[in-house]
Amino acid sequence: MNPVLFDLALVGYVGATLLALAHLIQRRDAVYRATSLLTQAAWVVHTLALVVRGVELGRPPLGTLTEAMSVVGWAAVLFTLWAERQYRVKVLGAFVLPLVSILGLSTAWLPPGLTDLAPALRNAWIWVHVILAMLGISAFVLNFAGGVMYLLQERQLKAKRPGALYYRLPSLETLDRLTFRTLTLGFPFLTLGLFLGALWARTAWGSLFTFDPLALFSFLAWLVYAATLSGRAVAGWRGRRAAYFAVVGFSALVLTLGAGLLLPGRHGS
Amino acid sequence: MAELFVAGVSHKTAPIAVREQLAVEEDKLREILLDVHATGIFSEVIILSTCNRVEVYGVADVPGEARALAFRRLGQQRGLDLAVLEPMLYTKSGTDAVRHCFQVAASLDSMIIGEPQILGQVKEAFALAQSCQSVGPLLHRLLSQAFAVAKKVRTETELARHAVSVSYAAVELARKIFGSLEGKAVLLIGAGKMGELAARHLVDQGAFPIFVANRTWPRAQEVARVLAGTPVPFDEWPETLKAVDIVITSTGAPEPIVRKGDVERGLHARRSRPLFFIDIGVPRDVEPSVNELEAVFCYDIDDLRQVVESNVRERLREAQKAEAVVEREVAKFLARAGDLEVVPTIVSLRERLETIRRGEVEKALVTLPSADPQMRQAIESLSQSIVNKILHTPIVKLRELSRSGHGRSWTEMVHELFGLGRERDEE
Repeated sequence: MNPVLFDLALVGYVGATLLALAHLIQRRDAVYRATSLLTQAAWVVHTLALVVRGVELGRPPLGTLTEAMSVVGWAAVLFTLWAERQYRVKVLGAFVLPLVSILGLSTAWLPPGLTDLAPALRNAWIWVHVILAMLGISAFVLNFAGGVMYLLQERQLKAKRPGALYYRLPSLETLDRLTFRTLTLGFPFLTLGLFLGALWARTAWGSLFTFDPLALFSFLAWLVYAATLSGRAVAGWRGRRAAYFAVVGFSALVLTLGAGLLLPGRHGS
Repeated sequence: MAELFVAGVSHKTAPIAVREQLAVEEDKLREILLDVHATGIFSEVIILSTCNRVEVYGVADVPGEARALAFRRLGQQRGLDLAVLEPMLYTKSGTDAVRHCFQVAASLDSMIIGEPQILGQVKEAFALAQSCQSVGPLLHRLLSQAFAVAKKVRTETELARHAVSVSYAAVELARKIFGSLEGKAVLLIGAGKMGELAARHLVDQGAFPIFVANRTWPRAQEVARVLAGTPVPFDEWPETLKAVDIVITSTGAPEPIVRKGDVERGLHARRSRPLFFIDIGVPRDVEPSVNELEAVFCYDIDDLRQVVESNVRERLREAQKAEAVVEREVAKFLARAGDLEVVPTIVSLRERLETIRRGEVEKALVTLPSADPQMRQAIESLSQSIVNKILHTPIVKLRELSRSGHGRSWTEMVHELFGLGRERDEE
C-alpha cells in the first residue's frame, strides 16, 4: 500500500480545485497556469500511485470499488486536460476538479474494502469489465460538468443580466458540443462494460440479474444516456434538454457508486 | 539638467470647446513641432493631438518654460489665451510622466476605457516627431516601451474584450450563443439604417446567407443587394424562421410584428437549435414573451444597453489588472532610464578630464624636446591610465546610484564639483 502517494495526489487535486475556483472568480492568467501545472503534477503523482499499487498487489488496482473510483478520478482529470485544450474551455477544471476531489475525499474516508477478490471473481474478463465501465463513467463526469455549464450559461443569457459567469463560460454551442462529444465517448464504454458484466454474472452466478443494487442503478444510468442519444438522433434533442439528461444520468451514476459502497451486493465491501 | 515631463489637457480636465480649439491637423502640427524644437528650449518633444486630448511630451532643462512655450504656440492657432488654458493644464514629470504615457498608450486614460484608436494616434504622433527629428534617446525609449506596454495590456487583460456599443454587444451575444457566426443565417425584418448596420456587423463575422424582409419591396431589394442577401416578401418572413439563426428587427411599427405564436410554430422544425432575436425597434417589434420559448433568446434595445453597462463594469475591473501591468513597466523603465540619466554626466566628466590630460601632456612635452617617440608614448599611456583609474569608481558609483533612483542629486553634485555646467555655458 502506498497511501502517501495517493494522499499527495489528493492534496494536489484539492489545491488545484481551489486555484481553479479562484481563476473562475478573478480570471488571472497566472492563476490558470498555476492551476494547470498543479493539476498535471497531481495527475502524474496519481498515475505513479496507481502503478505502485498495481505492482504491490500483483494485479490491476481495480479490485475494489474504492480502487475503481480512484481510477475514475484519474481518467476524468486526463479527459479534462485534453478537453481544455480541444475546446479552449479554461474553466472546465473549475467544474470537474471539485468532483474529482470529492470523489477522492469520500473514498479516503471509507474503509479500504477488500484487498483481494473472491475466488468467483478471478478472471481476466473482470478487468475488462471494470476498466470499460470506469472509462465510461469518467467521460460522464465531463458530460455532467458540460451540462451544468450549459445550464448556467443558458440561464445567464435568458436572464439578460450578464454576471461573472457569463464572461467566463464559453458559448452555448461549444458547451453543447462538449456534452455531446463526451456522451458519445462514454456511452460505448459503459455499454460494453455493462454487457460484459452481465454476461459474466451469468457464468458466475447463473443468471443475468442476480439482485445487485449497483448493477440495477448502473442499468438505470445506462437507460438515461441511451434515451439522450436516441432523443438527439430522432428528435434533435440538444442544448438544454441534453444538459438536463446529462445531470440526471450522472445522478444515477452517483447513486450507483453510493449503492455499491453502502449496500451489500456482488460488487464489493 | 534635462527633465522629462508631460503637459496637456484631456477630456478629464477640459470641455470639448477648449479641446477642439487646441486640436490641429497634421501639417500645422508639424510646423509647430519644428518651431518649438528650434527654440532650443526643448531638447526632445512630441505632441499628441486627438479630439480627446492634446499633450506635449518633452525633455527640457526648464519644463515650466517649455510647457508655456508649447501651449502658447498651440493656443495661437485659434486665439486661445494661455491664461484661459492654464487652469485646465496638468503637468506631470519624471515617474508620473512615464506612468501617464503608458496609461494613455494602453487606453487606460481614454474616455471609453480600452478603446483601440488611441494607440494608433500615439504612434502617429511619435512618427511625426521622428520625421521632425525632435525625438531623442529618452522619448524614443519611453514611447517604444509605451507601445510594448499597450500590447501587453491587450494580451494579458481583457480590457478591450467586451463591446461597449449596442451593435457590437449584439454581435458578442450572438457569439456567446453560436460560438462562431460563420455560416449562420440572418433574417432582417425592416430595412432601416440601424437594422442594416447591425446586419452588417454579423456579415463581417461570416454570417451567411442573409434574408431581408421590408414593407416596401424596392428598399428590401436595395438593402439585400448591399448585404449580398436575398429579399423576402414581407408577409412571408415567418416561413424563413425554419432556416435562420439570428433575426434582427427594426421596423418602426406601432405593434409587435413577431408574435410568440409565429415563433412557436416555426420552432418544431428547428429541432432545438437556438434562435436569437435582436430587436432594435422602438417601439419593440418582438413580443417579449418570445424569450420564454425553449432555445429562443430575445434582446430588445434596453436589454442590449444593459449588457453594454455590464461590459463597461467588466472593463473597469480589467483596468485594475492593466494598472498593475503599467506599474510593473514603469518600474522597469525607471531601472533602465536611470542609466540614461547619468550618461550625459559621465560623458562630460570624461571630456573634462580628457581636456585636462591633453593640456598637461602637451605642457610636459614642451619641457622635454628631446623625448623620443617611445617616451612620448609612455607619457600618453601613463596619463591615460591615471585618468581611467580615477574615473572608474565614480562612474560605477553613478550608475549604481541612478538605478536606485538617487542619480539626480549625485549628477548635480558631480557637475558642481567638476564645474561641468560652467564649461557647457562657456561653449
